[in-house]
Amino acid sequence: MFRRMAKKVASKVLDEDVKSNTNSQIDFLKDFLSKHNYVFSQDFEENLGILKKKHLVDDFVVTNFDGSVIVSSNGSGQSDGIMGTAMFSYIKSELPDSEAVLIKREEGWFMLFTLNKKVFVVRAGSDLSGIELRALALELSILMDENKESIKERKVA
Amino acid sequence: MARVIVIASGKGGTGKTTITANIGIALAKAGKKVLLVDADVAMANLSLILGMQSSPITLHDVLLGESQVHDAIYDGPNGIHFIPSGLSLDNYKRVDSERLGGIIASIQDQYDYILLDAAAGIEKNVLSALSAAQETLLVTMPTSPAIADALKTKIVAQRLGSKVIGVIINFVMDEKGEISKSECSSILELPVYGSIPYDSEVRKSFMQQRVLPVVVRKPDSIAAKEMQKVALRLAGIQVSDKGGQKAKKGFFSKVTSIFRRNKK
Repeated sequence: MFRRMAKKVASKVLDEDVKSNTNSQIDFLKDFLSKHNYVFSQDFEENLGILKKKHLVDDFVVTNFDGSVIVSSNGSGQSDGIMGTAMFSYIKSELPDSEAVLIKREEGWFMLFTLNKKVFVVRAGSDLSGIELRALALELSILMDENKESIKERKVA
Repeated sequence: MARVIVIASGKGGTGKTTITANIGIALAKAGKKVLLVDADVAMANLSLILGMQSSPITLHDVLLGESQVHDAIYDGPNGIHFIPSGLSLDNYKRVDSERLGGIIASIQDQYDYILLDAAAGIEKNVLSALSAAQETLLVTMPTSPAIADALKTKIVAQRLGSKVIGVIINFVMDEKGEISKSECSSILELPVYGSIPYDSEVRKSFMQQRVLPVVVRKPDSIAAKEMQKVALRLAGIQVSDKGGQKAKKGFFSKVTSIFRRNKK
């Protein structure tokens, strides 16, 4: 009787009902963060892929307003570039203060965003807010600035 | 030019709003010019914690373009300035939270610190707050679900170009099974700005005739002291951890803390 009582008191005081099992959770969380650790390399192409993953998009194309492609994450990006620029120019002519155009399609979203006199054509499974599109465009712009030479070489080739 | 810092957590109920109010006041007490902004445009309650719920012009009006930002700035406790968010559900549906960044930028040169209290989650309103701030300070509890949500918030903040500077661990009870300060820091890969113990004085502060944040009502309480330390760390003032709640406990205080814990 006394033994049982003492055991009960001891388990209460020592919190024995709480089974500390945080190690597996800590490992899981560390693993989760490591999957989102985006480290850019020296390789421009590889960095485009990292940007796609980081910003949760399928593909992007950056064009000038005349439709010429500057950068594409998927091949030449010519058709997306021309279509996106034409569409954006038309919408801009009707609604001059437009910042972004979002089109819902059967297989996802087709989004257009403009920054620094360039059109960013983005394909993704879900729609991005203006803030997310701007963040992607800003990071892409920095990457393009840092890799002007390799972009030129790609065009020549 | 103000440091614009957003206080975010991902998970609801971690104490973001309470911490924003208290560290804002603590920074003002340290002589800094501080503006608090209730960036939770859907579930605003920073005004309730500051005891300033009857503000006619709010952030909603400014985001709608119906008022100037200076008309929505109010004087709060201990010299802080405060922009409340509206409680109207109609206006909440109408506001464009993406304009927040521009509004903050327009007043950035008037303060030393602008603290934004973000909503829970990672929806559009939270993205607006994260993107409007150059720095993000995370608030979590010492449990894995709260830390998981803080992790997601960290990833989203970084995606939006906000620098995540550290984490505050709230509601620390020193219970078995809690994730420790060092583990928290290691999982999130961030420095810990403060480890705020559970303190009933914080809750009592909301229940007074005149609502006042705990750093004003009970500045010597353990939570208030820790929040003041967080503010000093933010201000770049070196703080000693000795003498605080985390000071080495003797045998007797260890035993009494076990009983106190069971009472909660």
